[in-house]
Amino acid sequence: MALEDYRADALRCTRCAYCKWIPFDLIKSWRFSKGCPSVEYNHFHSYSAGGRLVTALSLMDGRSTVTEAVKESVFKCQMCGNCDVTCKMCRYDMWPIEALHELRFRLVDQGHGLAQHQPVMKGFRSLSNMLNKPKSKRGDWAEGLDLKRLSKHKSKLLFHAGCQYSHDPDLREAVRNAAELLKKAGVDFAILGADESCCGGRAYHMGYKADYQAAAERNLKIWADAGVETVVTPCADCYHTFKRLYPESGSSVAVIHMVELIDRLLKQGKISFTKALPMRVTYHDPCYLGRQGEPYVAWKGKEKKIFGQAVVYDPPRPRYNGAKGVYQPPRDVLMAIPGLELVEMERNREAAWCCGAGGGVREAYPEYSMWTASERLEEAKSVGADALASACPWCEKNFADAATRNGTKIKIVDIIELVYQAL
Amino acid sequence: MAFSKEAYRELEDIVGERHISNDPAFLDSYAFQWLAELVRPNFSHYMPRPVAVIMPACTEEVQRIIKLCNKYRVKAKPISTGWYHWAAPLKEDEETLQIDLRRMNRILEIDERNRYAVVEPYVICAQLQAEVMKLGLNINIIGAGASTSIVASACAYAGMGPSSFWMGNNSDNLLGMEWVTPEGEIIRTGSLGSGNGWFCGEGPGPSVRGICRGWVGSRGGLGVYTKCAIKLAHWPGPTEYQVKGTLPGYRLPIQENFRVYTLAAPTWDAWADIYYKIYDNEIGYIFHRQYALAGADLGPALWLTYIDPEKTLNDVEEAVKRKDIQDLTEELRISFQFIMAGRSIREIELQDKILDQILKETGGWKVQRYCEKDMAEFTNTYMQRLGHKHMNFVWVGGYLGSWMQTGTPDWVKGYVPVAIKGLYRDAAGGNLVQCGGDALMGNGSSIAGGGNMGLEQFVSYDPADNASVAAGTQHMRDAIVDAVANGFPPGKEAMYLQVGESDEQIWNALRRTPQPLAFHFQRKIKEAFDPNNVGDRMYATLPSEGKP
Repeated sequence: MALEDYRADALRCTRCAYCKWIPFDLIKSWRFSKGCPSVEYNHFHSYSAGGRLVTALSLMDGRSTVTEAVKESVFKCQMCGNCDVTCKMCRYDMWPIEALHELRFRLVDQGHGLAQHQPVMKGFRSLSNMLNKPKSKRGDWAEGLDLKRLSKHKSKLLFHAGCQYSHDPDLREAVRNAAELLKKAGVDFAILGADESCCGGRAYHMGYKADYQAAAERNLKIWADAGVETVVTPCADCYHTFKRLYPESGSSVAVIHMVELIDRLLKQGKISFTKALPMRVTYHDPCYLGRQGEPYVAWKGKEKKIFGQAVVYDPPRPRYNGAKGVYQPPRDVLMAIPGLELVEMERNREAAWCCGAGGGVREAYPEYSMWTASERLEEAKSVGADALASACPWCEKNFADAATRNGTKIKIVDIIELVYQAL
Repeated sequence: MAFSKEAYRELEDIVGERHISNDPAFLDSYAFQWLAELVRPNFSHYMPRPVAVIMPACTEEVQRIIKLCNKYRVKAKPISTGWYHWAAPLKEDEETLQIDLRRMNRILEIDERNRYAVVEPYVICAQLQAEVMKLGLNINIIGAGASTSIVASACAYAGMGPSSFWMGNNSDNLLGMEWVTPEGEIIRTGSLGSGNGWFCGEGPGPSVRGICRGWVGSRGGLGVYTKCAIKLAHWPGPTEYQVKGTLPGYRLPIQENFRVYTLAAPTWDAWADIYYKIYDNEIGYIFHRQYALAGADLGPALWLTYIDPEKTLNDVEEAVKRKDIQDLTEELRISFQFIMAGRSIREIELQDKILDQILKETGGWKVQRYCEKDMAEFTNTYMQRLGHKHMNFVWVGGYLGSWMQTGTPDWVKGYVPVAIKGLYRDAAGGNLVQCGGDALMGNGSSIAGGGNMGLEQFVSYDPADNASVAAGTQHMRDAIVDAVANGFPPGKEAMYLQVGESDEQIWNALRRTPQPLAFHFQRKIKEAFDPNNVGDRMYATLPSEGKP
């Protein structure tokens, strides 16, 4: 698809403002009713999905040009997908998040990518990670665990750690625990270690589609050569990239998030909890595991009209409205931990407020990124949680940084860590 | 005096660099408005661009902005949640500053004892409802839905909704407001104006009625409303809006003291009788002909598709062929949604008995399929919060309202066949959605207690298809001709079309209204409060022509 393919979406946007809120039926308070961090922080309509559609239209029509203000309005957004859910509450003919991606691709293609993203992208291209860390260190997290390497052993199941878990020492324990847990459960798997590369998802969300494509092709070839049939990852970003984006690049590899696998292992009796964790925990749905974590459905078709002017698609187009995200497995896992009390924040599941790290925002707009995370921490505090658990290292990192900065007492934990402690 | 860099700098000094913009793309996001393509040259989706958009944080900043608009002779156009083409600047040759009020978004006070809330312009209905429900109170949510500004509906419009039948209009419920006049004066109305708080809209102090609202509301044409107090109503339901299920068809469980029905009548005469008897017997909490918006021919197929998260609009095409759906479609031809709330179980049982008796006397019935759990709970969700009002646009993103004449049910039923015939005719060519001639949606009442109501024809067109847009515009013109030919005044479509018309065309239309004197009176008000003509023509007036 190209930006022009979303021209009709822009023309059919009615400026209803649903994209700025969580679904109205889910609003329980004034404080936590907002859904779009971007427009909430930056205020102008141009920072909402509806406003960005107008920007796209205005640029396509030559009514305006790419200014610094336009660049900021396009890129100062986590691509969290709340707008996509709320727009589709009442519409079957709008695809906001796809259109916003195309707008970013267009700007980057025209040389209007953000300067703040360039160091990250340079690292991505040369070091195959989004953190500018040495490639040779990527597999260090697995030291001493005696894990099978895909370079030496064929395996149908690949454990993909992801950039953040691989390179951030603060998060390393979680991914080591994940691997140990799989071993304990008797799961046969392998890792790529230092040969593992970034999934490319964050490059895609920043607007660098060609770079993403190169990463996808590279990874898919490695997987194919090694006979990988399933990939398990503890990272929500990687999960979304493998699950939703890679199939468009020809992947038929099954994808599962670590928390889904833990849930299965628990329900199959392959692992069980023996220790109590008496704590009050709230769960943060990562955008890329929750509302954007729906499985890919192949579709190639075109718009057609019925009843004169009503728009449908031939063949029917997959909806992707957040209804089928991965919501229940992490909750089932947490609720199965003895002594742990799971409390829900007001905005949960498809209506979850973003952590603030996505879409290149953490890299380009740190103040805004921290504000977004801080808003979520306030929400977690409002339900009296001792800890905020998530299933994405990017979320955890952003929350931890915001908590440190704000002096917020709430603990930021990885769901894997909780599981491991309770085994 | 033209809008200059100096003017921009002075405005910037008020709100700070971060809260003002004149970037062309940003301005386009305000110029782009629903309905514009119906009235603008070459089907343009853009109204005229404002010279800048500014976002004040408080009343004092609004006042300073308005004074600068007077100084530089720039029009001031406020927008809060923002819907309709008239929310944007109206004329290319009128330099207009768009004042986006979204930073003024606080609930300032909820007075549980005296049952009112004080809010700023960017507080939306869903937010306030969620907060007051915790206290066993509720608000009237206007027909445009949960996303709308309470201040806008109460101060600048009439503010009707499905719950107006029980709670009154927001214009009725307005207990006082803070108004920055087009000259930059701050006026506080009702009891607030005499320093006695927000409890009464009529004083002691200047009355809120009439001065600003005039005919149908000033709609951004007469200064800026920066706060208002809104009356709260009794809410005998849960303190939290705890919906179940999967989007988009969330479901609100029905409490023991509530009943959620879709009622149908064999004829429009019987339908009017049911309305009158419901009014007379003072039963019911929400009263609305909601589902008709999808069109009588397609409505059941659409709604039963919509509440199933696995389905898409493609499934409607198949659903309409099913015998059960076809039978339901016939059963629902003349129907509406009706929710009753009892303050006790005995009371709801009494209301039930009364309703049963009304249906018996009129030949009406409860539509069984829509009263089953799934659809009834969805109706409860939909009608109590109006969080699905964007379904107005579900077919293809473009909807326009025609007719929307208000009067007694007997009067309204008079235009129903004309409106139905007109839409069938205009959609026959295929450039409008062919959902049936009757897409007449409307409130059970436009005043508290009932007796006065209206139905609006929902006409869906494709904004991305110029032929369809042209058909939409033509339909509005046809509807005016149909109305006049059948003895009705022009309806909502005339208001839409006027946005694209010249001053002279508008004046000619106003002169033909039943009470043109009202627009001379409004001119007097405008002359008094807006000597520099900072407000635009949405506050409708007629030139003097020697009239008082």
